[in-house]
Amino acid sequence: MARVLDLTTIVGAYGTRVLAELGHDVLRIEDRGGDALRRSEPLLGTRNLESSAFHQFLNAGKRSVALDLASDDGKRILRALVAQADAVVASLPLPLSEDDLLAAKPDLVLVAIDDGAPELCAYASSGLLAITGDPESKPVMMGGHVPLSAVGVHVALAAAAALFAKDRTGEGQIVDVSAAQCLAALAEQSWVEYSASGETMERLGAKGGVTALAGALPCADGHWMISVPPDPRGWANFVELVPDPAFRDDHALADEALRRERKEEILQRVAAWSTKQKKNEIVEDAQRRHIPATVVTNPLELVDDPQLLARDFLRPVEHPDFGKINFPAGALASLRHQPMSFAPRLGEHTAAVLREIGYSDADIARLKEQGVVAA
Amino acid sequence: MTEKTLPLSGIRVIDFGHIVAGPFCVRLLADLGADVVKVETSTRQGRTGARRGAPRGGNNGRTPHLYHINRNRRSLDLNLKTERGLAVAKRLVEVADVLVENYSSGVMDRLGLGYAALAAINPRLIYASMASFGQTGPRRGWTGMNVNLQAASGLMLATGAEGDPPIGISNSWNDYIGGLHAAIAILGALSERQKTGNGRHLDVSQFEGSVAMLGSLVLASAVTGKPPARLGSRSPSAAPQGVYRCAGEDQWCAISVQSDEEWQRLRVLVGCTLTGATLADRRAAHDAIDAAIEAWTGGLAPAEVERRLSALGIHAAAMRRGNELEGAKEWQQILHPLREPGAEGKRVVGLPFSFRARAPIAVTEAPRMGSGGRETLRDWLKLDEAAVEEMMRAEPA
Repeated sequence: MARVLDLTTIVGAYGTRVLAELGHDVLRIEDRGGDALRRSEPLLGTRNLESSAFHQFLNAGKRSVALDLASDDGKRILRALVAQADAVVASLPLPLSEDDLLAAKPDLVLVAIDDGAPELCAYASSGLLAITGDPESKPVMMGGHVPLSAVGVHVALAAAAALFAKDRTGEGQIVDVSAAQCLAALAEQSWVEYSASGETMERLGAKGGVTALAGALPCADGHWMISVPPDPRGWANFVELVPDPAFRDDHALADEALRRERKEEILQRVAAWSTKQKKNEIVEDAQRRHIPATVVTNPLELVDDPQLLARDFLRPVEHPDFGKINFPAGALASLRHQPMSFAPRLGEHTAAVLREIGYSDADIARLKEQGVVAA
Repeated sequence: MTEKTLPLSGIRVIDFGHIVAGPFCVRLLADLGADVVKVETSTRQGRTGARRGAPRGGNNGRTPHLYHINRNRRSLDLNLKTERGLAVAKRLVEVADVLVENYSSGVMDRLGLGYAALAAINPRLIYASMASFGQTGPRRGWTGMNVNLQAASGLMLATGAEGDPPIGISNSWNDYIGGLHAAIAILGALSERQKTGNGRHLDVSQFEGSVAMLGSLVLASAVTGKPPARLGSRSPSAAPQGVYRCAGEDQWCAISVQSDEEWQRLRVLVGCTLTGATLADRRAAHDAIDAAIEAWTGGLAPAEVERRLSALGIHAAAMRRGNELEGAKEWQQILHPLREPGAEGKRVVGLPFSFRARAPIAVTEAPRMGSGGRETLRDWLKLDEAAVEEMMRAEPA
């Protein structure tokens, strides 16, 4: 288990959360006044420094140390923390110079994140915006700051790789992560498609997919997502599922290429049937027939999802502020069954951490009185 | 580690992946320096896009997308449904560090290559499974493509504005997200093995990777009992913010106003009569402000909007399509030339981060089916040519 100092903004914070899910001791170093992440909407109740949903999810599993990073005393404490850490993961500008960081800890792993332009602008430049949205309407950015999580997951990859290298060799290293590059990398297929064929990928609404027949279609109680496998058996299974004589009798439709040509017409016929059905019933029936089908789910429907509960992704807990809820532990916490503490209150662990690195109770009381730390 | 080695140099990875998610996870490991062999079967083509005996050149017999996904590795053509093929695979497993597979739950067990069987011959093995929903739970047997997981994870109803139909992204988004999470899980397990000496099974669920990306909204829903607001491209902390129609067919520019001062400059430029002194004022009048901005952007090309606003210190970015990417700075930084004879001039997308003072990754082409696999047998098992020949004699059937 490594000790990681987390000085990221909301852009990289998912990355350090993932490091906490891997079992690392992640210390979130925060300004005494609380940072922008703690103020990000949506809020869970009254506006205060603990009520941001993004703070509560992204800072789970971390400890909080609150310092006045602008002051010399605050910087001195940070240097002492760096000296006893394995890694610093920080958005630019760094709170101490690289030379200062490496002087404090010569074998440090430093992951330096260039947050770049605002999320929407980075999303537009990367190539991702051009392939998100309904073709008849305007392109739109993914919701829920998913593009920022996509940067964060690369931050975690870079940090985990550098920490493993340090485990093997004892050497630290500096990794430069650029948010703009992370989003561009995820638009790879747009570049490949154009390079290979001269075609540009476009928006497909919810009718994307590599197979001819894919799309979100209406049900009586929402939408379901169908993706018919391209092989003849996939189509045969599908014809059994959707009782439309036009499909059964039209043997030409066994050909994927023909289905691609007639996609809109076929999807309309499927929709005419599914709009009278219940989404969960169709999807379960489809899965019994080995057809890739799922419900189009909104996040509220996920809060008691049986799969997420069964696999320890969702954990029934009694939260001090929010009462009984199913808490999303995370994708790596789930597979590792890693315990995840709730997001810390601002400065909740300042005193404990300072004691760990050698400060006395009297030192800590003085620093608190001088306004250098919040504890 | 010498000055220029990468974090995973010397780590041996067996790729049993197909389509995108598994092979992409493996590509991340390869780009981090791992030594990878892909086990694929010429008698069952298509899922990795490799066809036996395809002529050298072009995409080595793979479709363009799968060519890019499968680069930086060697290929061993092995029929796992024969005893001999299975035996060769197990010889590789004995000396491997990592195995990655993204079959449906149960397939590797049926092949005789499940975790329990392989841990018995190599307890140090880190074995990552990447089924859509994982190996356990009521949906363990479910099948799902990228679009199904985009839908099931909540992404399609967290994206778009209120009242919109479900909104997805046209690429293999979910496969990438699943591959990234699996690669991180593998790196974590490698670090642990360094201390404990033990490998482990990593039961990755691609679905959970995508739900976790939206974890804050799931938590908000759990607490409030309401679905999250669908904000379109707007932001609670920056207004106006949106994607605005420009001159030309389906041309757009993103604009994000970060402060009151920026807004006042934009307001004068576009001739908006609304004062919008505070963020709250602007959020309340967002529709009217958008109409005023679009009246101005509608007469200009996206690049011109970007240029004029950037000059005023206002964040704006033209929407780039596939044909407009290559020249951009961030794209120049992630495109890497292939470093091998015969592939001069070709470039591929590499890691979007760099280890300072390390050499850039040496990227190589995706192999033709069966290309280089015998060298892996020779290197990993320390065999001579004759022994490799003998081992592979009956393969493929």
